[in-house]
Amino acid sequence: MVKKNNSTQTLSVLHKWKKNKKITEIFKYTYLYIMFLPILIVSIIFNYIPMAGVRFAFYEYTPFSQPKFIGFDNFKTLLTSKKFISAFSNTITLSFANLLLATLVSIIFALLMNELYNRFAKSFVQTIIYLPHFISWVVTASIFYMLLSPNNGFVNQILGMFGIDPIYFMADEKWWTPIFYFINRWRETGWGTIIYLAALSSINPELYEASSLDSATRLQQTWYVTLPGIMNTIIIVFILNLAKVFNLFESVFVLMNPMVVNSAEVIQTYTYKIGLQQSDYGYATAVGLFKSVISMVLVVLANNISKKIKGEGIL
Amino acid sequence: MQDKLSFKKEFRNRTIFRIANYIFLGLVMISMVIPILKIVSDSLDSSATYGMSIIPKHLTFSAYKVIFTSESLYRPFLVSIYTTVVGTAIGLALTTLGAYVLIQDKMPGRKFFVWMVFFTMIFNGGLVPTYLVIKNIGLLNTLWSVILPLSLNVFNMILMKSFFQQIPESLFESAEIDGCSPMAIFIKIVLPLSKPAIASIGLFFAVEYWNHFFNFIMYITDSTKFNFQIKLRELVLDSTGLAAATSTSQTVSTSAIQNASIVVAMLPFLIIYPFCQKYFVTGITMGAVKE
Repeated sequence: MVKKNNSTQTLSVLHKWKKNKKITEIFKYTYLYIMFLPILIVSIIFNYIPMAGVRFAFYEYTPFSQPKFIGFDNFKTLLTSKKFISAFSNTITLSFANLLLATLVSIIFALLMNELYNRFAKSFVQTIIYLPHFISWVVTASIFYMLLSPNNGFVNQILGMFGIDPIYFMADEKWWTPIFYFINRWRETGWGTIIYLAALSSINPELYEASSLDSATRLQQTWYVTLPGIMNTIIIVFILNLAKVFNLFESVFVLMNPMVVNSAEVIQTYTYKIGLQQSDYGYATAVGLFKSVISMVLVVLANNISKKIKGEGIL
Repeated sequence: MQDKLSFKKEFRNRTIFRIANYIFLGLVMISMVIPILKIVSDSLDSSATYGMSIIPKHLTFSAYKVIFTSESLYRPFLVSIYTTVVGTAIGLALTTLGAYVLIQDKMPGRKFFVWMVFFTMIFNGGLVPTYLVIKNIGLLNTLWSVILPLSLNVFNMILMKSFFQQIPESLFESAEIDGCSPMAIFIKIVLPLSKPAIASIGLFFAVEYWNHFFNFIMYITDSTKFNFQIKLRELVLDSTGLAAATSTSQTVSTSAIQNASIVVAMLPFLIIYPFCQKYFVTGITMGAVKE
């Protein structure tokens, strides 16, 4: 009798506790939802409402008229527009060449930095070569405009010593593209090595010991141990960056000028021009949507490939 | 004998390689630093032609005096400071709050929130729809149009989240049993334990806000609200602002003002970088590994 009473008591206490726990849990989660509210609001206003705005891609819309539905006309216009096709192919050329250079140069630098056994020297080199990444694109472009300036610029003064006439580096299409690649390397190479250095430090040291027992030279070790060891990282970084080729923007925007528009105009700068300078909202949205959709497909593909290689996606 | 010879040869080769490597990396570092040093030196030089020297021949601070005495030049500097401070504060608040909510594994709807935040990384409305939204809610020509869109940074939130996940679960549990509300846990436990993470991500935000120029170009036409990057772009890349800036002083050459503006635009970063490099690197390596 006593026993039974006891157990029902425990049960009711347990029941009460559970109920209480449920209440505290509801309270806790309401609290958490409220904490998340600011993020939701910012995200909805600046990310999700603009997404609804992509419908203007199917409208004729300028500041002076009401939006008028025209179906796929904007897309027809853009696919036949010479300027769009030129911007599209420039985007691909510039970002693809830039990506190949970035991969190659960063890997070589990472391999060389990995050979520094003095820790002080290594961290000193790292401090210096990471630095340009934190300098804004406007400042970067300004620095090189000053140094490459045809009157009184550093580079042209050096050339002048050899009797070479001043070259208008930034205003000459022939020079602009190589300089664009160079400036990108100047700013981003150090930053690009970080991920390879991390991968290099995670290679099993026993592999090196085993290969030196087999009397492999340093070069052979690099080729047969080091490179295969970071191959997955190389492929993943390459694919992820490949997914971002259409995002090319700031660097071009600040380095561009009307003289080099034919080889420098990319999709994003083109969108900016027609959308905000010429206020052709409908057409500019169509260009933006075209770019966003391709980018999205590329990112999702890259994520799936990365999942296959690394076993873990980026998203 | 053979072995000993090849060992010697190998040793000699390696020494040569090491020396070559130091020389090569040294040259690379010099080529990274020279452009910056040259600009700094030229900004302090009052000579008519600068030449090749990277040490100023006639030291003068007059270009800096012009920048910090003419309103059209120091005002953008103050705007930069304002957006950096306010933006970093708001950015950190959103990042830490968001990361804390997103690590609550048992919270109903967590998956939905995670996807909602992550989806913005994959797809966005594009330049024009975003511009139209900001125009319609009346943020055009206010600094909020620059600060708010940048304050929600998904990448930083992922980083912060992985920092928070390293905090032992038992700490949360015992605090909960003591009757702490989620906000109290967040303020009393999570934030104090993640000071290094907050420092690195705060620096990332600060650099981003300080360097940002594009939202100003998009949403701000009122020149009293330009930041220093925009002013610099006008002075050096556009040359439209140059006439106005130099008309105020006949004694200082235009290129001196251009060089000095470049230095001013990167100065705050160059000052803090040597001291905060530790925090940059923790953030970077976390990010690199995660990426």
